[in-house]
Amino acid sequence: MIIAENLIKTFVKNEKKNKKIEVNAVDGLSLTVNDGEIVGILGPNGAGKTTLLRMMSKLMKPTEGMVRIRIGEEEISDDIEVKRHIGYLSNNTKLYGRLSPGELLLMLGVIYGKTEAETRKRIKEISEILSMESFLDNRIEKLSTGQTQRASIARCLVHDPQIYIFDEPTLGLDIISSASIIDFMKGERERGKTVLYSTHYMEEAEYLCDRIALIHRGKIIREGTPDALKEQTGKENLRDIFSELIREEGMTNGY
Amino acid sequence: MDIKIIKTLVKRELLDVFRDRKTVFMMLFLPVILYPLIFIGAMQIVSVISSSMGEQNYRVVIDAEDDDAFAKQLKQRQETETYSLVIVDPQSIDDYETSLNNEDIDVYISGNMQGGKMQYDVYYLSSVTNSSYMADLVMDAFDDYREEMTRQRVEAAGMNVHEVLEPVRYAEHDIASNEQSLGSLMGSILPFMLLTSLMTGTSYPAVDTTAGERERGTLETILTLPVTNRQLILSKFITVAFTGIITALLNILSMGGIAFYMYQVMDMQTGVESFDMAKFVPAIFVCVLCIFAFSLFISAVLMCVASFAKSSREANNFIAPMTMAVMFTGYISFIPNIELTPAMAMVPAANICLLIKNMLMFKVDYGSIILVLLSNVAYAAAAILFLNRIYDSEAILFPDGRGGLQVFEKRTNLKKGGVPTTSDVVFVIVVTLLLIIYAGSILQIKFGLAGLFLTQMILLLVPLGTVIYTKRDICLTYGLHRARITDFVGGAFLAVGMLLVNLLISMAMIALFPESAQNIGESFLTVLGDNMWSALAVIALAPAICEEMLFRGMILHSLKAKYRLSSAVITTAVLFGFYHMSLVKFLPTGILGVVLCLVVLHTGSIYPAMVMHFLNNALSVVISYYPVQVGKMFPILVKEPLGGFDMFLLAGAGLVLCLIGGAVLSFSGRQREDRSLGEG
Repeated sequence: MIIAENLIKTFVKNEKKNKKIEVNAVDGLSLTVNDGEIVGILGPNGAGKTTLLRMMSKLMKPTEGMVRIRIGEEEISDDIEVKRHIGYLSNNTKLYGRLSPGELLLMLGVIYGKTEAETRKRIKEISEILSMESFLDNRIEKLSTGQTQRASIARCLVHDPQIYIFDEPTLGLDIISSASIIDFMKGERERGKTVLYSTHYMEEAEYLCDRIALIHRGKIIREGTPDALKEQTGKENLRDIFSELIREEGMTNGY
Repeated sequence: MDIKIIKTLVKRELLDVFRDRKTVFMMLFLPVILYPLIFIGAMQIVSVISSSMGEQNYRVVIDAEDDDAFAKQLKQRQETETYSLVIVDPQSIDDYETSLNNEDIDVYISGNMQGGKMQYDVYYLSSVTNSSYMADLVMDAFDDYREEMTRQRVEAAGMNVHEVLEPVRYAEHDIASNEQSLGSLMGSILPFMLLTSLMTGTSYPAVDTTAGERERGTLETILTLPVTNRQLILSKFITVAFTGIITALLNILSMGGIAFYMYQVMDMQTGVESFDMAKFVPAIFVCVLCIFAFSLFISAVLMCVASFAKSSREANNFIAPMTMAVMFTGYISFIPNIELTPAMAMVPAANICLLIKNMLMFKVDYGSIILVLLSNVAYAAAAILFLNRIYDSEAILFPDGRGGLQVFEKRTNLKKGGVPTTSDVVFVIVVTLLLIIYAGSILQIKFGLAGLFLTQMILLLVPLGTVIYTKRDICLTYGLHRARITDFVGGAFLAVGMLLVNLLISMAMIALFPESAQNIGESFLTVLGDNMWSALAVIALAPAICEEMLFRGMILHSLKAKYRLSSAVITTAVLFGFYHMSLVKFLPTGILGVVLCLVVLHTGSIYPAMVMHFLNNALSVVISYYPVQVGKMFPILVKEPLGGFDMFLLAGAGLVLCLIGGAVLSFSGRQREDRSLGEG
């Protein structure tokens, strides 16, 4: 379970002519993701999605507020220990091109504290789930986009974490590849895992998520089940709800 | 767990490095293929050039009234050589200078009778190879010619040629063994080669594993793993150092092979017996140790430098001047008569060069071997600790745009208050240090005591200017807060006590580094003028204010705001010790630095530290002015040499005074707490 309380992340940005201003990429945001739940984060570019997910997975320290991670009944406070229970994936988590997926996964297993035999067994399972057998021993730099993305997801599965945090996992993938990823997330939900993920694809979010949080300028502007969101706004699909809300927000803020 | 993780990370890094063609190319191709090719090629070229010089066609003009006597001599020599010689008629050229410059002729010789002797003048162009080569031949011919003439005259006078021309005889005998001459040759080349190869071997992986990793986007992946910053840095450091060691060893093997081959060739030509390689085993062993030690050092330093860079390109730009500096230091082994003194043993890069040189020349000294290796390892450890501090993966990956150098910001963008950033402090230290080294030493030579005063002003004004420009809080930065009278009293006791203790430490340091001590004594005496009061003002009062404001003021308070208290104190003290630029003074001033920092932190004010600093310096000045009077009152302070009991007494008195001072300070601290509690 992930509990984010009043998160703020401030960056200093360079405006033109050497002028510097402080910007809150995430601005006082609270969100809880329960076990056995998939929560989707939706928002335009620059809304603060990636920054939020980075703080959730303990890659980045918030300027204010805190992220609490609960595994079962136990709350884990040590950041390094927390990372053992999280599988984090984003466009920026690149893989070492000069290694093969098999080599990489084996090393990760050791780093996550597993024995080599355990890891090998796990790699076999994972490569069946993601059908990676054909390219397990090829260098990652030689793989196709879909294969690389599957290898990236495999990286998040080695330690069989309780929590998955995926930043746009289906971006740039074909229908078959993204379908397998969506199926995977659904399967993990059935196993009681916690899934937090961001996406640009409205239909995908509507189909997959138990709850959706719409983010704009570092704040949650709406949160709820897809059905509840439709009811509240009286719109038929998520895309309309989204553009409507953004427009409203923009107007109230005087933009 | 720690070791297992680091092992796995190193394994991954090494796999990455060795699968990278560029690195392997740098590691293997340069030493194993390129260097031998260059050497053998250079040898070939030299021999081709020297043989072609001998086969050239030379034109010489002899304009002398000597019945062609010298021309005959020159032709006679030519018969045994391969070059061809044309004696040109002086009438056929207009002017010897033009002809020489146009390279129509190679040498012009004029000869005139002067006082019954032939005076020959040889004109040539040293900038033209053929001309200078021929001029050498002509000069040799003159030597023979003169000898021949002398012999004829002696014979004509009816004297014994042997007895007259050879009144004494001598022969030279080189007792250097083959090993010694080879060692001396390698001693100048090998250290330089070694530094170069270690630089090339480490700089690419150092950039690749820091800036490169970030650029490729794999650093964020690492950040998702349960790996601490320390484990990450250590594994990267081990990888870089290991790559450097492999490169250097390959280089040594390759260079050794070339040297062996060249010596064999020379042996065959000169017919000298070959040498005993076993004698080089200790030198090679120490050499390998040096490679390890220096590789640790340079890897840590390069990684520090590279991690400041925003991209690999920037990192390479940062490393380029460092490479120059290391190579330049490496030239030290080519300079004769530079000895490996204890002070030299502390200079990075230079120390291993001199040690390897000494070992190859069979000058073994276990003390300096240990000192050199230890100092390298110590520097490497310091650099790694520093790297551990500055290399924060999160900050490097997701910089939030804060911090950094505020000195170069527009003033309107700066917020008021607080203490200077660490980057600003580093900037101030570097600028002040450079100014002191260059401007300071010139000022002191030119103006003596006044120059010293101006140097202190640099120390005060550069930091103060920075603090004011960046709109920092002056009271907070410098600790300009009120102190209690008891704080001053305690401080005074502590200062006098420390002076006595430091007297002992200084004696120990002087015994260790006698040469360095002599320099200090001399420069100190020349600076002091006749007037004690002006000396007190410049040597005691000015540093008490200026040095305290820089070290215990700006540096201590700025570091304290960012780092742990202990690291802030130790860094400030080490900088203070280093600032005195003397091996002998380093330890005493460093210890004094720690004590002063503690007093500032304890009292929350810089003023007691200023008084302490003043007392410390003033007492030394008074002793130098009135050694006799002081000697009468406290014979122990000027006695030389001190006996065991005297030392005991000095240490005892010093410690007692320090304890009293400490007690007063802690009493004063409690009073302050009570007061503030009462007020609260």
